[in-house]
Amino acid sequence: MVSLTINGKVVRAEEGEYLLAVIRRMGIDVPALCQHEAVEPYGGCRLCMVEITKDSWDGWKKYVTSCLYPVEQDLIVTTHSDKVNDLRRGILDLFLARNPETPLIQKLAADYGLTRTSYEAIPEPNDCILCSICTRVCDAMGFSAISMVNRGHGKEVAPPLHQAPPDCVGCLACAQACPTNYITYEDVGNRRTIWNKQFELLVCDKTGRPTITKEFADYLIKNREIPEDYFRIDDASHREELADKMGRITRWSVTEEAK
Amino acid sequence: MRIESEKQLRDYRKKLIEADKKLVKKIMVCHGPGCLASGAEKISAEFEKQLKKKRIKGVSIESVKKTGCHSFCEKSPLVAIEPAQVLYTRVQIRDVAEIIEKSVKGDDVIERLVYHDPKTDEAIEKYPDIPFYKHQTRIALRNLGKINACDIDDYIRVGGYDAAVKAVLHMTPDEVIDEVKKANLRGRGGGGFPAGRKWESCRKIEADVRYVVCNGDEGDPGAFMDRAIMEGDPHTVLEGMIIAAYAIGAKDGYIYVREEYPLAVINLQKAIEQAEAIGLLGDNIMGTSFSLRIHINRGAGAFVCGESSALMMSVAGHVGEPRAKYIRSVQKGLYDQPTVLNNVETYSNVPMIISNGADWFTSIGAPKNSGTKAFSLVGKVRHTGLIEVPMGTTLRTIIYDIGGGIQKDRQFKAVQTGGPSGGCLAEQHLDLSVDFDTLTAHGSMMGSGGMIVMDERTCMVDVAKYFLSFLVSESCGKCIPCREGLYQLYKLAIAISEGRGKEEDIARMERLSDHVVVGSLCGLGKSGPNPFLSTVANFRDEYLAHIVDHKCSAGVCKELIKFEVITEKCDGCMACISACAVNAITGKKKQPHIINQELCTKCGACVAACNRDAIAVF
Amino acid sequence: MKHDLAKIPEIIGRYPQQESSLIMVLQDIQKEFNYLPCEALEQTAEALHVPLSKVFSVSTFYNAFSLTKKGDVVVRVCIGTACHIRGARQIQEQLETALKIQAGETTRDEKFTLEVVGCVGACAMAPVVLTNEQYHAQCKVHTVKKLVSKR
Repeated sequence: MVSLTINGKVVRAEEGEYLLAVIRRMGIDVPALCQHEAVEPYGGCRLCMVEITKDSWDGWKKYVTSCLYPVEQDLIVTTHSDKVNDLRRGILDLFLARNPETPLIQKLAADYGLTRTSYEAIPEPNDCILCSICTRVCDAMGFSAISMVNRGHGKEVAPPLHQAPPDCVGCLACAQACPTNYITYEDVGNRRTIWNKQFELLVCDKTGRPTITKEFADYLIKNREIPEDYFRIDDASHREELADKMGRITRWSVTEEAK
Repeated sequence: MRIESEKQLRDYRKKLIEADKKLVKKIMVCHGPGCLASGAEKISAEFEKQLKKKRIKGVSIESVKKTGCHSFCEKSPLVAIEPAQVLYTRVQIRDVAEIIEKSVKGDDVIERLVYHDPKTDEAIEKYPDIPFYKHQTRIALRNLGKINACDIDDYIRVGGYDAAVKAVLHMTPDEVIDEVKKANLRGRGGGGFPAGRKWESCRKIEADVRYVVCNGDEGDPGAFMDRAIMEGDPHTVLEGMIIAAYAIGAKDGYIYVREEYPLAVINLQKAIEQAEAIGLLGDNIMGTSFSLRIHINRGAGAFVCGESSALMMSVAGHVGEPRAKYIRSVQKGLYDQPTVLNNVETYSNVPMIISNGADWFTSIGAPKNSGTKAFSLVGKVRHTGLIEVPMGTTLRTIIYDIGGGIQKDRQFKAVQTGGPSGGCLAEQHLDLSVDFDTLTAHGSMMGSGGMIVMDERTCMVDVAKYFLSFLVSESCGKCIPCREGLYQLYKLAIAISEGRGKEEDIARMERLSDHVVVGSLCGLGKSGPNPFLSTVANFRDEYLAHIVDHKCSAGVCKELIKFEVITEKCDGCMACISACAVNAITGKKKQPHIINQELCTKCGACVAACNRDAIAVF
Repeated sequence: MKHDLAKIPEIIGRYPQQESSLIMVLQDIQKEFNYLPCEALEQTAEALHVPLSKVFSVSTFYNAFSLTKKGDVVVRVCIGTACHIRGARQIQEQLETALKIQAGETTRDEKFTLEVVGCVGACAMAPVVLTNEQYHAQCKVHTVKKLVSKR
């Protein structure tokens, strides 16, 4: 265990824990758009930056992304200093230029006093904030069907060759994890379409409601040793159990959850 | 033969020196980057062809050496006659026969081909007397121009692998590290982190596997020192890496070479094979239990891969995205193992430190900045080329004494160091000492060693725009301050250069720069605003001239300039008319021409074509 | 030029069948075909046990790779700093005008591809243009179009 000070309070944390986890545990609201509990921290959105110092640093301060910074003994952390707030506002201003119509960004920006970007918004903006959560959860699922392509300002999330991704099983992990609902899919009857790829959904023997795609079921049966009949009974306990088995990355289906 | 003792190496060297003595004359044909671009391969082939037919005592085809960069690139192709130290410049194929006749067979000097002082027109026959060479001290570049690039025998003959043998057979790893630490060798890639300390931290970490990596991804535009070393003296890189690997306990080494440098890959590969053949590399080096395999990885065109964590991702076959370095790469680097990464020039210094000792090394250079630094001196300077000077040399000495001042005696405006991470220093900085700490303190940085001289015809807004454009296309895009921040800075710089800027834009750009510097994940973003920040700090008036007066005094920013014929100077030769691609120039022979402003695209072809300087840009 | 896709397995076979070989394999394929054919990406993914999505990421991240066919002659204008301040942009514009394409494009007859490159390390000889592997030193704005005149 190490002990450190966050916003004036002394707290204890496990060795190897990242700052953001400790900050959140204290109930402090630090924004983090590329953070997802199922995958390793990424450090892309930079909003979780905090100010750190130590008594031994002679007044020297550092700005670090709390999602990636391991806790240290005697660290003094400030999550909302003027400088940090200014930096977050500046970053949100840039986000607003890229995603001017995205509600999540608009709301966060408003929290930091911004209603519109001070820059020229990019032409043809969309809701993708390039947090890479979708591709990382897809990797974590073991499919790696989609990835970040191109680089720099032209970076985007895409399936290989911009065609229906051969490795996609229609598990919806990407869509469910996407913080801005940029990734869309469509379930019509027992057919699902995502990333321009069509899937057949299995159906619950009792209720006749669709469960998961045949491809996903095949994968789970083969690689996770989940019995075949599992996907033919659509009840709450099954759904929860399966979500647990999948590291809570993916669920039966978002629409079902919503009901 | 395998070399397993100091005596063996010495005896072998003796033999090589004896054999070399039989060559009475040597013809050193520079095959450095500049000379190759000017057709050096044809020159050396011509020498070989003609010497094959001739019988000259003490001269054979072996006398033709294809050396690494002789450094005075401005005068390329270069041919030096040794041991006379005569340097022939701008050598053409038609000169070869005469050189053989007069200077190889005979002992005459062809005055027409030697360097002439641009002011006095005095001919200087021997290169050590040329100011360009006189002020240099060569450690990392010591063998360039002196030996065949791809010949381990040549390298051994001039003292090569002495240091590796000394380190591996007669020193403990700790002693090696101590020596490098005492020498205070700082990373020549630009960061300036002490190499010895890096090696020590890496060695201290418990691990079964460690790696030594050489950064040959010289990405800074305007720099070619590392290219010259890898192509012209690959063995010194290997020797440095062998010593480092021995010191930290690595069994595998990687050299990451930029894809634009295919010859460097070929020459390094040859050097590896040669060193393996005599037991200086590979399994059981020099008969000890120390083994090292060196692998070459070709970069694939990504500036960000010069960043250490991105480079290691790329070596492993991934996209070159950097990671946060709260855990350092000496602890968790390539394949998550402890890794020492140094650049080409840093490794090239190591053998000399081991051979001559740390005290010798610290006797050269400036306080806390031991040794020398190599630079590619380029841009609007009269004598472009590859130079190496003791740290602490002033910019003035480099630009005026070595570089011979500004081309066409124009006015000096700025010197850019540190590549896209560095900055532009102005007239008032010319007497600054060139070392890691001084340059950083003045808003630039040492960088890997590009030194680009700019004159009155260089627009500083355009320079900032140029670097921002470079960085926007090279940002990996992982983190938002770099990806979006540099993009917005670039957009604002474009607006200023086109006369659409507002006065408050400068302050906005400065504030945004601060966010990019503090907020970015890796060095590319953190230092990305530097070219803007340093130009606005030193040349604010030029920014204001673009914004307020809509003027680009350097005559660069298209939207703000005009091309016009100076009627008094124009002799009506029609050269500009045929050069103009859009038929914007009209006029008759021997009558002054006229540029149609509506049609003119301001491409500059007419200015380049005019022999009488009769087209004004304002 | 006809491309023999049967060569792909041989190229992949030059390196250990593992992820760290990915960039090297793609480089050799690019060199052989002047671009990365779809089939090559798929076969590389399969042989090196790398997801196709990662192969696609790598092939779109690095400048060295191209997913579309390049011309017989790749004209590369160096726009390194030394070249830039000695007029590389004008050189680029002249070539764009002469070839009637923008940098990054290929002529319709697939003879020329025009590219800009960060720095080729021949800074002392700026401005520099390469036609395939051939260097052209100290290019002049009014004469550079000759490099692409043999059409």
